[in-house]
Amino acid sequence: MNAIVGLALRILMFVCLYAFLGMAVWLLWKSISGSMLRRGIIAIPTLTLATTIDDEQVIRTFTSSEVTIGRNLDSDLILKDETVSGRHGRMTYRLNQWWYEDLKSTNGSWLDDLKIEEPIVIKDNDTIYCGDAFFKIYIKPID
Amino acid sequence: MLLLVCVVVGLFTASLCVAEGTRTHSEDFVYTWHYLIPYFFWLISTFLIQRNIERKLPNRDPWIFPFTAALTGIGMLMIWRLSPDLGLRQSFWYLLGSLLFIALLSVPDLIKILKNYKYVWLFIGLILIALTFVVGVNPTGSGQRLWLQVFDFYIQPSEPLKLLLIIYLAAFFAEQVRPNISWISSIFPTLVVVGFAGLLLIAQRDLGTASIFVSIYILMLVVTTQRRRLLWVIPALAIVAGTIGYFAFDVVQTRVDIWLNPWLDPSGSAWQIAQAQIAIATGGITGTGPGLGSPQFVPVAVSDFIFTAIGEELGLLGTGAVLLSLLFIILRGINIALSSKTTFGRYLAFGISAYLALQTVMIVSGNLGLFPLTGITLPFLSYGGSSLVTNLVAIMLLLKMSTQTSAQEVPETVRSPYKWVAGITSAIFVLIIGWNGYLAFPNQQELIAKAENPRWAVYDRYSPRGDILALAGEKLAENVGESGSYQRRVTAPELSNTIGYAHAGFGQSGIESSQYQILRGYVGVPWQDGWLHDMLYNQPPPGLHIKTNLNLALQQQVDELLGDHAGAVVIMNARTGEIYTMASHPSFDANRLSETWESLLSRSDAPLLNRATQGSYPLGTLATTLVLESAWESNSVMQQPLDSDLIRLDPYCRQAMQIEAEGQNGLRYGCESSSEELLNSVDPTLLLDNLIEFGIFSSPDLAIQTSQPENPPSVEELDHDPLQVMNFKVSPLQMAIAAATITNDGLRPAPRLVNSYQTQDGNWQAIGEERAETVVMAASTARRLREELASSTQSLWYQTGHAFINDDQPLTWYIGGTMPGWTGTPLAIAIAIEANAPELVQTIGGMLLSFSSTN
Repeated sequence: MNAIVGLALRILMFVCLYAFLGMAVWLLWKSISGSMLRRGIIAIPTLTLATTIDDEQVIRTFTSSEVTIGRNLDSDLILKDETVSGRHGRMTYRLNQWWYEDLKSTNGSWLDDLKIEEPIVIKDNDTIYCGDAFFKIYIKPID
Repeated sequence: MLLLVCVVVGLFTASLCVAEGTRTHSEDFVYTWHYLIPYFFWLISTFLIQRNIERKLPNRDPWIFPFTAALTGIGMLMIWRLSPDLGLRQSFWYLLGSLLFIALLSVPDLIKILKNYKYVWLFIGLILIALTFVVGVNPTGSGQRLWLQVFDFYIQPSEPLKLLLIIYLAAFFAEQVRPNISWISSIFPTLVVVGFAGLLLIAQRDLGTASIFVSIYILMLVVTTQRRRLLWVIPALAIVAGTIGYFAFDVVQTRVDIWLNPWLDPSGSAWQIAQAQIAIATGGITGTGPGLGSPQFVPVAVSDFIFTAIGEELGLLGTGAVLLSLLFIILRGINIALSSKTTFGRYLAFGISAYLALQTVMIVSGNLGLFPLTGITLPFLSYGGSSLVTNLVAIMLLLKMSTQTSAQEVPETVRSPYKWVAGITSAIFVLIIGWNGYLAFPNQQELIAKAENPRWAVYDRYSPRGDILALAGEKLAENVGESGSYQRRVTAPELSNTIGYAHAGFGQSGIESSQYQILRGYVGVPWQDGWLHDMLYNQPPPGLHIKTNLNLALQQQVDELLGDHAGAVVIMNARTGEIYTMASHPSFDANRLSETWESLLSRSDAPLLNRATQGSYPLGTLATTLVLESAWESNSVMQQPLDSDLIRLDPYCRQAMQIEAEGQNGLRYGCESSSEELLNSVDPTLLLDNLIEFGIFSSPDLAIQTSQPENPPSVEELDHDPLQVMNFKVSPLQMAIAAATITNDGLRPAPRLVNSYQTQDGNWQAIGEERAETVVMAASTARRLREELASSTQSLWYQTGHAFINDDQPLTWYIGGTMPGWTGTPLAIAIAIEANAPELVQTIGGMLLSFSSTN
């Protein structure tokens, strides 16, 4: 009886030990691949965002893995509209896809008529609405 | 994350708690509660540190501390398991270390203080080392005096000195302006400091720490000067220093020799390394289980060899996890160095990582025999307060620096050496894990089977060894006590020479040794049983009983008759080769080995020797029997009767004749004159063939050790000096087989000492395969021989003979057997007594028939 309990404890211990190691390796891998993305080691599909500001067509192209959207002037894509929050949303490239995530903006972000509550995957030709403003997304795949 | 670590260490503790009950196969739940003490110590200290770093360093590297805590916890419990006394000390040290950790954490601008007062720290470190020359002690009472005593605690100043040296080097190099690095102003001062510290350590014979110092220094030079080529200096220097050390220090010489060939002297100077490898092999992949192994067989398992203790009880899975955790901390450290805001921080973080890497690589590869052994600690795991506290402070510095990062990219030229060091370190760790795996799996069985592996004695204590029985079922050797304290008891001590012993201190011999696989339950037990016992208890299953062919009643009768005479008696079944009696005097009592061992070894009459199988006695005049056949074939005619004058001159022969007045048969009573005449008259080719067929030059295949046979001479040699046959050395067993051959109509039976073993379902299974009899001579020749030597009063044939051991000590021989007219078991006997005892041999020989008739 003791022996069976001991064996069970031992197996459980190894499972937990390697779960811990596995977790560490996985998270480390994520942070390494993140830093590789930042340093341009892994190629990212070029992201082009098109919007209309003061009746003027604005087209911006990004090669980085993170693009911020908002009214603040340090945003990568600035949407000058009162219904847009200072830090409205963020686009990130991870797991081989572009994601859009709403940064708890006042008026929310919409993909067509779907309210974006959680990060969602974005594809070519999608349009995102931020308050009254909107922008269109073009993703150029890697050659 | 830390919670998961707490669970892992907790499960380890719990496994240790149930281990004792498991080992002894206890029916009830048995817990060994005291393992909870180090666990609670560990929990408290870990919790203290965690709470403080959560508050003060919220942006720290999240991984380093959980790994540190896991390693420390496993180390502490392992130390406690090996020695609760040292485990308690280690628990206090961890508590102390965590308090120092917290205290230093709350010092504002600690990093700046360290940097600005670099010479002060270095000086303190060197002073402490210098102090050991004056008031140094060694906690064990002898050996290198590397410790300072503070009340009841011992501090080894070389441990904090390593960290202080790193701080100094980092601060010094950080001050040098990059483009202007010149060898004179930038390198020379550090060379002096490192050289001085190194010399202090060499003077103390602390060579391991000295080499760590130099290696850290070179690695730091690599990153500060950005010269990758400098990495080659480490192996180059190791070879040069190793060669010089080999001739300058005895210690270095033995260590290198052991490393090059650990199996040259595994029971002497290489004992530790050999035991370490056996321990790793015993652990295998999954380990024996916490508390179920015997890691204490490796000397100093608590400190230098804690890695092998983990290897034995947790297996490759355990050591792999330990090495990966250490590698993880080291790589995170290098990462912190690369993202550090200040140059000092970068060098310091790198220095600490290099220090942890070097310590780990050197001691673990030393443990596994990949590298000459140096006595240093395995970070976080080994017993040693100074080491643990130093390592904890180092981790505190790493964590502190992980919060002072800069997002700025480091140029590739700066990054490159760090990446190289990280890459090489990872490669070495992979190599070590690979070698560990090789020892633990493909090489496992070979290592476990080594004669130096003492684990069988532990298995014997917990899992019963099989009994050894006589043919009628009387116990000759059995177990007494209960699981955890089984002891071997020989119930027929006079048979100790044959049965042998199984003693934890002196090893195994006789049947105990040769039938070990069956007695210990490795052979004859279903494999799944063996596997289950190994998995659950780390023990082989209860061993199987073995039945020998010995007849206890006859044996005791012979023993009584032989009494105090040195000599041997072998009685066997002439047809089947079953050995009924094997007496060798003087004997010993296997139950009293511990008290008598020294005297048994030193006694000149060699009681440990089994004279029946290992005794080599000159053939003497007994040669006659073996020669007669060839004499007949050579058609040489004996002069009959012998010249009575010659007999009168041969006192031994005359004496033998007078006991039974059966006529003056010079051959029967082994008269030298007739033997010599006979030997001179035979054809040497026929004689040699005859001797070979009788088995004089081959050792009988028996369940216990037999003597080395004589090398056969060439025909020319025999022709030149036929009388040398009388000096050929044979064992009584060989002569018993020869007697059996004559009794058995010229067919030589194979001797069989062990009969069968009892399988788990109670059936007896024969041991060994049926071996064919060898034809030595025609049945008619055998009959003629028997008739020539037949007794006129009993249904026996026999011959006596004599020889001299060491020129003056007389030896009396007797061989004989039953006649075909005898209705009982056909028996053969050989007697050798180291005295002139013609009467006694004939008495013992006459007993044959009494046995045959009662049986």
